[in-house]
Amino acid sequence: MHELSIASAVVDSVLEFVAERSVRRVLTVRLAVGELSHVEEEQLRFCYTAITQETPMQDSALEIEKVPAMVRCARCEYSGRPKYWDDALSVAPIPTLECPNCGGAVEPVEGNDCAIKSIRFATEDNDLAIPAA
Amino acid sequence: MIQTIEASPDEIYDIELEHSLLEANAQLAKANRALLDRHGVTAIDVMGAIGSGKTTLIGRLVEKLKDRFGVAVFNGDATTSDDANVIASQSVPVVQIATVNGCHLDANLVGKALKKTSLDNLRLIFIENIGNLICPAEFPLGSKARVVVVSVTEGPWMVRKHPHMFLGAELVVINKVDLAEAMEVSVSELTKDVHRLKPDIAVIPTSCKTGTGLDEVAAALLAV
Repeated sequence: MHELSIASAVVDSVLEFVAERSVRRVLTVRLAVGELSHVEEEQLRFCYTAITQETPMQDSALEIEKVPAMVRCARCEYSGRPKYWDDALSVAPIPTLECPNCGGAVEPVEGNDCAIKSIRFATEDNDLAIPAA
Repeated sequence: MIQTIEASPDEIYDIELEHSLLEANAQLAKANRALLDRHGVTAIDVMGAIGSGKTTLIGRLVEKLKDRFGVAVFNGDATTSDDANVIASQSVPVVQIATVNGCHLDANLVGKALKKTSLDNLRLIFIENIGNLICPAEFPLGSKARVVVVSVTEGPWMVRKHPHMFLGAELVVINKVDLAEAMEVSVSELTKDVHRLKPDIAVIPTSCKTGTGLDEVAAALLAV
């Protein structure tokens, strides 16, 4: 359940950021989650909702943007999307580190990370109207 | 019916942060690695499911190597010190890392363990990660190599069920091969699965009971 670690890292970082400013509440947190980082979206949302209660981040929207995996082959200089293993019992095809071009070993160059892209917040002195759901 | 009231631009701020959530751990891992390198110590992160035989494998390797040079073991375990006690009976330095409810070791915990360890006379540290085939993959510790231990008793699909774990590893050990026939699990099929994910990775079949493959594992770890 490392989603709790990730959610805690998100909340700690954002709260640290808002503590330095006159932020009344955080409206949106936007994450970029790499295809090769094994973060399960539903679990992350669940943890996020739970640990943002009674903080300026309560009820904020968590937007998750998926960053596709990109790989590079040192042998044939292929650069692009990885080869997928699509009949491996899995519900979704599994990205592999086998070069789609020459069958050699590739290195992942993108899609490994999990980062906060941006946050949207309202400042203290303004009585902000939140879009009604 | 959704009604939306737009706040004026001076009330709402969008800030680009580009703040990596894995970076803090990655930086600590780099610091651990730099400390280990300064002392000429190689750390090996041993990952695998509960019951795959991580502790026994480490125990056998320690037995083989401890008379040749200094070996220490960090045992990650959620609550108990049973595994640490097993290794400590071999009179090598052991640090128990209790994660309490954590599902993986992280570089911070390993850094604390390194502070408790005298590195001067060591050549190798085995870091036994928490029994878990998902979470540890995301958290580098500063080791020079990551080993995944799977055993035939976990069934034929362990590799394809947990692909992420293998993508970040440098060595795969297929353990308990003495039971392969009884389990009707093919070691060569498991090996093929590993190579479909990562074509260049070394896969060594072992049995801690018969001793099969243990010398090869020791040699592979010393060569990293």
